[in-house]
Amino acid sequence: MTSSHASRRFAFAYATAFAVLYVVALKLDLALFTVYPSLGVVLLGTHHSRDVADPALGFAVPAIYWYGWTTTAALGALMFALIATVFPQRWTRRLWPGWLCVVQVAAMVACVYFTMPWFRL
Amino acid sequence: MATVLLIIHGLLAVALLGAITHQTLSTLAPARAQPGSFFGRFRAVPSASYANAIVVLYAASTLLGAVVYLYFRVDVRPALEQAGHWQTLGLFDIKEHFAAIGLALLPAYWVCWRQPSADEPARTRAALTSILAFIVWWSFLIGHVMNNIRGFGS
Repeated sequence: MTSSHASRRFAFAYATAFAVLYVVALKLDLALFTVYPSLGVVLLGTHHSRDVADPALGFAVPAIYWYGWTTTAALGALMFALIATVFPQRWTRRLWPGWLCVVQVAAMVACVYFTMPWFRL
Repeated sequence: MATVLLIIHGLLAVALLGAITHQTLSTLAPARAQPGSFFGRFRAVPSASYANAIVVLYAASTLLGAVVYLYFRVDVRPALEQAGHWQTLGLFDIKEHFAAIGLALLPAYWVCWRQPSADEPARTRAALTSILAFIVWWSFLIGHVMNNIRGFGS
């Protein structure tokens, strides 16, 4: 096993796993942390405003989930990519490299689909 | 500070846009004869030599975008929500998602260009480059539209 083959498997597995896990994190709202930039506060996990008395407070204290979704997907993909480097090369050679592109495009379409509610407001 | 970062972010994006467009066109429609026209010369570039620059520019631009996003979320987005720019905010959300997916694609993209494998079809490399080019163009255009609606300092 050469380092070139290992790095190729790592890179391909990482990109594929990230795309899938990012869509999962987005759909299930699995942010590893939530950032409140106006307060300078970072909380572990996904936190949504539960202020039922004045939901408009969401405008006053905006939360950022994008960093958390990205980190969730990045850490998950890292695990998959490390596992992929352990597999023998003959196993992964059978995989069609085009799957990488197909998964990316599918993930992008899924992200657009999950964003559709914005366009119905 | 936010304005300075936004301008640097924009400049990096312009450089990235130029590099990835050169590479994509030279990959999808390589110049076969001596290029005579502007378009011919535009695509007659050594495409592999752009890979390192594209990776560095994409990573730097995304990192800066992530920093500027803090200011955007606090100062700009609430005003856009109050003004009812829902469609534009939706397009910007898509830009965020695409940018993250593109960032994770960079290692595979780099490997395809800098360590090409004999048993790997050139189509994979072309497809990866096209996906990345689409993400860069989308991000650039939506970022530009967003900034035109309500730029920093307005």
